[in-house]
Amino acid sequence: MKRRWIVFIGKNLIRILLLTICISMVTFALMKASPIDPLQANVGQAALGTMSQEQREKLEEYWGVNTPPIRQYLSWAGDFVRGDMGISLLYRQPVTEVIAVKLSNSLFLMITAWIISGVLGFLLGVVSGMNQGKFVDKLIRGYCLVVSSTPAFWLALLLLMIFSVWLQLFPIGLSVPIGVEASGVTFLDRVYHAVLPALTLSITGVSNIALHTREKMIDVMQSDYVLFARMRGEKGWRLFRYYGFRNVLLPAVTLHFASISEIFGGSVLVEQVFSYPGLGQAAVAAGLGSDLPLLMAITIVSALIVFGGNLAANLLYGMIDPRIRRGGAVK
Amino acid sequence: MKKKIIAFLCAFSLAAGVFAGCGQNQEQTAQTSGVSDEKVQEGLQESTKDEVIVTMPTTSEPESGFDPAYGWGAGEHVHEPLIQSTLTVTNQDLEIGLDLATDYHVSEDGLTWTVTIRDDVKFTDGEPLTAEDVAFTYNNCKEKSSVNDFTMLEEAVATDNTTVEFRMTRPYSIWPYTMAVVGIVPEHAYDENYGQNPIGSGRYIMKQWDRGQQVIFEANPEYYGEAPKMKKVTVLFMEEDAALAAAMSGQVDVAHTAASYSDQQIEGYELFRVDTVDNRGFNLPCVEPQEKDGITYGNAFTADVRVRRAINIGIDRQEMIDNVLNGYGTAAYSVCDKMPWYNEDCEVAYDPEEAVRILEEAGWKEGSDGIREKDGVKAEFTLMFSTGDSVRQALAEDTANQLRELGICVTTEGVGWDVAYDRAQSDPLMWGWGAHTPMELYNIYHTLSDSGIGMAGYSPYANEAVDQYMDQALAAGSLEESYELWKKAQWDGTTGITQEGDIPWIWLCNVDHLYFVRDGLQIADQKIHPHGHGWSIINNVDQWNWE
Repeated sequence: MKRRWIVFIGKNLIRILLLTICISMVTFALMKASPIDPLQANVGQAALGTMSQEQREKLEEYWGVNTPPIRQYLSWAGDFVRGDMGISLLYRQPVTEVIAVKLSNSLFLMITAWIISGVLGFLLGVVSGMNQGKFVDKLIRGYCLVVSSTPAFWLALLLLMIFSVWLQLFPIGLSVPIGVEASGVTFLDRVYHAVLPALTLSITGVSNIALHTREKMIDVMQSDYVLFARMRGEKGWRLFRYYGFRNVLLPAVTLHFASISEIFGGSVLVEQVFSYPGLGQAAVAAGLGSDLPLLMAITIVSALIVFGGNLAANLLYGMIDPRIRRGGAVK
Repeated sequence: MKKKIIAFLCAFSLAAGVFAGCGQNQEQTAQTSGVSDEKVQEGLQESTKDEVIVTMPTTSEPESGFDPAYGWGAGEHVHEPLIQSTLTVTNQDLEIGLDLATDYHVSEDGLTWTVTIRDDVKFTDGEPLTAEDVAFTYNNCKEKSSVNDFTMLEEAVATDNTTVEFRMTRPYSIWPYTMAVVGIVPEHAYDENYGQNPIGSGRYIMKQWDRGQQVIFEANPEYYGEAPKMKKVTVLFMEEDAALAAAMSGQVDVAHTAASYSDQQIEGYELFRVDTVDNRGFNLPCVEPQEKDGITYGNAFTADVRVRRAINIGIDRQEMIDNVLNGYGTAAYSVCDKMPWYNEDCEVAYDPEEAVRILEEAGWKEGSDGIREKDGVKAEFTLMFSTGDSVRQALAEDTANQLRELGICVTTEGVGWDVAYDRAQSDPLMWGWGAHTPMELYNIYHTLSDSGIGMAGYSPYANEAVDQYMDQALAAGSLEESYELWKKAQWDGTTGITQEGDIPWIWLCNVDHLYFVRDGLQIADQKIHPHGHGWSIINNVDQWNWE
């Protein structure tokens, strides 16, 4: 047992290492291949116009315009391995600090959205699957199909229009109240400001999980053991609780942990609409502003989180399905 | 195990319910308190309301902090730094006034500026502001500057407590314009994190900065000048859509907006427009095509000065402003309209007949397809614009339409900035400029002897007389003298860059900066805004008031 665990952890460590190296290389290559001129993007054309040639050369050096890419990559990688993520060119602060601030904002939003969409999606999927063909099923399915084809930013604008502008129930954005000092901002304020963005993210995140769970639920409902259980008079909640739950959970868990990447992606747009200062906004700023150290770090952190999500799914499989835990093949 | 999972699910759905509940409570209290606030305001009015909330584009947030060395106050967005005081200030008409400085003068050779400063100014941490701090600020800027250009400064030296000497590497008569944007930082409280917690001696204290969202300023009670009327200023960073939504829901007092939203009616708000020198225009390469280092310089069609003159008067700028900017703009005739160094000879009247006559006279005859040609050269060029900039794109399209009437075929093309600079050496590009310094004029029209083909940097053009006037302007003994020389560089009666001269650039319009402003808020007179829709509006926020 113990040895199996060591092998398992070792394998994953190697995987994570290879993944990080590959991702950093690809990100770097993409960044270098991108047509963005860092001076133009960060200093601005009008400011460049008021600048002497000498000053421009100084700036080009700062933004690493003339350093050979391979040397640039190696020096970055050398620092990174030693735990130094570098200084953000854009924010002029250590990258770790920038990410910590942004991540703490985003994380709250993303975790809320992720949990709501998972639980809600699962429940809807189960209800819909157990009532296949009935009105509830049609309603849920219709809802999921509509939502899954709705772009997140459009939904965000819609919610903003309805709840903030017309009904004035929620703030128009930001993560804290306007003009209030940090000491006066309560936890409830933060929750209140996260409601709409989190809602947007969870509404769009629901459909995928609900639809897949529904399929699995239908499969389960048609299986021999459910037929047998029904024969004995089991139905409703008890039927689901003892015969459906674990079986249905597997696809939901896989999808849900894989969907971490989607929540990441969706949050970029949603944060933009709600002026919410998260990692998504920082990633966009870093990408458009050629902030190499920051973008590399954000990419790697996101990759690690997504990888962590998948790993968690793998571990949870074992908990949910004893057959996997015992190492036996799932039939 | 099962139990745990179920317990977790239950707990979560409960928590979700609680959250939703909280949200509702919260919103109700928010609403009721909003109402009572308004009542209070109505009741007490003028005397109590001294706060204002202003939105700005997300790009206005100074990512690297409120540090002059990293561009706070200068650069793409030239503005008063509010938190810090500057030596000089620019007045309403963009001439130079004094702030910290009590006097300044420049040596005969233009290489030493001596500035005396007030002795009664304290930083908000209680320490006095001395000439040492001034010298430190400028030397620090020179060493680290990311946006401002300090290459003309050799070093700054404090000769006594209230006198500072700037030793220059070259004469630079417009140095007072640099002094108007550099906020003085305290040497004793400066480190690499200064930009995050700035200390200054300006009208406002930065109370809080929620990165990516808002900055809260409070009036500096110890301010040495007139006490600010607005005691609290909150600046929010958001996109135009969000700013519009914020105004529609009544949560902000001033919301920045664009011409495309100018027809929106928002109850309780008025549209407020500010004149700018935020101009748009395109370059016309002035030489025959030639190649160097893989870059083509020059354009066979626009190399003919008569073609450039015809284009300049063949464009109806007002029509363009009405079409593209909903009327919110002013016609532009130079890169520096209305600045003290602007030469009014740049102005021309729209005259399509004359434009056609010039083209005919120059030998550009209409071909069978309606496009003019001469000696096998077609009257055509590609007009580029930066992709993603809808205003520049629309201006390029409008230019193409208008020039088609003259028999000139213009194709528009969106390009990225990575290739735009090199391609602009041979094809016209739609640019945006507008700064509170004549340096821009210099960089656009002055030749660079050691780069490219030895002509002006952004578009091939060279005129010795223009160069000389601008060199003299930089070496001039006083600003007044330099203004005259800058004007002469534009047109001295015989040569220059105007319609009668070489006209190497065509200027189209200055884009108005637009804001939705809450009724009752009196925004103090604005000086002409430079390029960039950001901080300029609150340059004088201390003088705003509620009626």
